[in-house]
Amino acid sequence: MVTKLIKTTLMFIMMTPMIGAQDLFLSGYARTYLGALTTGESDYSIIQNTFDLNFEHSRGDVYFKVNPFLYHYSDDELELGFRQAYMDLYFDSFDIRIGKQQIVWGKGDGVFITDIVSPKDMREFLLPEFSEIRVGVTSLKFNYYSGNSTFELVWIPVFTPTQMPDENSIWSIKPNYPLPYSIDYSNSDVKNKLSNSEIFAKYSLLSSEIDFEIMAGYSWDDDPTFHSEKILNPANGIVDSVILKPEHHRLATLGGSFSTTIGPVVLRGEGAYYNGKHFQSTNPKYSDGTEEKDYIHYLLGIDYSIGDLKLSTQFIQQAILDYNDYLLNDEFENTMTFLASMDFLRETLNVELFSYIGLDNGDALVRPKVTYDFIDGFQIQLGANLFFGDEGQFGRFDKNDMIYTKIKYSF
Amino acid sequence: MKLVKILLMTMLVTVIGFESQAQEKLTGQQIIENVYYRETGNDATSDLTMTLINSRGSERVREIKQFSKDYGKEEKSIMFFLSPADVRNTSFMNWSYDQAGRDDDQWIYLPALKKVKRISSDSKSDYFMGSDFTYDDLGDRHPSEDTHKLLREEKLNGEDCYVVESIPKEKGYMYSRTVTWVIKDKWIGMKKEFYDEDGDHLKTLSVEKYDKIDGYWVILHSEMHNVQKDHRTIMNLKNVQINIGIDDGMFTERMMKRGL
Repeated sequence: MVTKLIKTTLMFIMMTPMIGAQDLFLSGYARTYLGALTTGESDYSIIQNTFDLNFEHSRGDVYFKVNPFLYHYSDDELELGFRQAYMDLYFDSFDIRIGKQQIVWGKGDGVFITDIVSPKDMREFLLPEFSEIRVGVTSLKFNYYSGNSTFELVWIPVFTPTQMPDENSIWSIKPNYPLPYSIDYSNSDVKNKLSNSEIFAKYSLLSSEIDFEIMAGYSWDDDPTFHSEKILNPANGIVDSVILKPEHHRLATLGGSFSTTIGPVVLRGEGAYYNGKHFQSTNPKYSDGTEEKDYIHYLLGIDYSIGDLKLSTQFIQQAILDYNDYLLNDEFENTMTFLASMDFLRETLNVELFSYIGLDNGDALVRPKVTYDFIDGFQIQLGANLFFGDEGQFGRFDKNDMIYTKIKYSF
Repeated sequence: MKLVKILLMTMLVTVIGFESQAQEKLTGQQIIENVYYRETGNDATSDLTMTLINSRGSERVREIKQFSKDYGKEEKSIMFFLSPADVRNTSFMNWSYDQAGRDDDQWIYLPALKKVKRISSDSKSDYFMGSDFTYDDLGDRHPSEDTHKLLREEKLNGEDCYVVESIPKEKGYMYSRTVTWVIKDKWIGMKKEFYDEDGDHLKTLSVEKYDKIDGYWVILHSEMHNVQKDHRTIMNLKNVQINIGIDDGMFTERMMKRGL
């Protein structure tokens, strides 16, 4: 597979001069990323070199884009792939995009509520750039335009789940079971057949008063639910271990988002209702340790400026409907995000602080960074990822505090 | 006979009306309104190159393809950033309104986020892309936001000019006053001096080249010099085309995402 990708990438690079005369546009970046944990309790560090290319070509109303990437790690391990590879067909009032593509919906920042079309690469939690967190999906996208309205239909024939960290990764989340367990992945795949397709639809309007989107999806839950099978000790008949079987379930989603301006403030909102989500439960009625519940997920946010300082904050809540105490998840999960950003030296120096704050567990992820454009297209970044708390979605990574630097050359 | 008399009377009144308007001395307010409302065509497109030069002489270049269309009481414009490489495919759309006090609607598309974001247009004192031009300097500032006074008339670079002082009505605005040299028959601000909140000279805008394209006066080359920091920004306009019938679909979310 890797060899094939290397060959394909090389083929594109070699083809560039040939197609160059016909306006093949080449752009991309090279980046070196060095990171080290600050806790001293782990020898984990990041030494990653990235090469990201974009090949674009258009002829009349047809356009194609291929975006291969290559990650090279300190142990000489190579990771290659296509972030996107698609073709566009433009018509007067509609477009068709076919191929591997990243699809982004919603008005929230750093939160995935209606933005569920492209799955996520969570191998390094939420730390990579968003263009790297979103996994391209092979799909057919149809957009119809009328004035300032857009109707979008996406058909994804093959399901792609969230990419989870390896078991040994510092970002892996161990199932919380009091008994010894083993994992059986036999039910974790969704078979590639037509009836297992995913479909999403969205209507959006951009207008002077308000921008909004209304979406619906019939998809698979990108994150698997861990069903359990109890193993009895034949000697005493007591459960002494479990087999965990990750499985993806069908999910129906209805949601929307909006954005409007009130004086100097931009007010944003996004929400979705999910039907068919499975949660882990101790309810004896359900022998596999899971229970199906609907839930809602929404946010409200504002963006505003004080002089040159740009500020943004969001309140996010997830709520399980028809809640009972058997469920392992809390009924509500409340999170806030906060962003402060300021440019200096004619926008060549940017200082930014972004943070997620878990309101229920008092945990947080705080991400300060300084970016300097040494010359146009050549950027140096220094930053830190600081986790606070003992539990919760951020506190659980308290030992993963990291400082890093990224040097990026764009062309 | 009665009809002929009425027609003659009407023509006479019309001629007298024109003469008295021509002889009447324009006020500072009228001059600045003439600049603001100068006919620029129904639509236009051009390639803008912005060169930022710092006090050490090092340059950064930004290239933009821009389109605009006048809908009467509303004007829509869209910019596609072509360089530098790390901002390529970013687009910015602005809908502005003649109605005094009504804020513009603005959106930005960032290719890394793949999202069109509505942004607040309140910060018109913000500098545009790190240049020495604020959004207000680029022409968004409505004449009603300042009090204008005609100071004198004088020649500048061989052109007869009105010299108008404008003082912001808003307290604490970034400029305490500006002085503009307006070419009499073209309604082009050929030179403008900006004074900071303390009354000290901050910047000078100099228009180096202008031309009549498709019947409309267009500024093709201008330079803003921040005299306090010794920064310069040179704006160069090329491939200007006016009244080419730009489609309404150019000023939409579709085009922001699709790009050029």
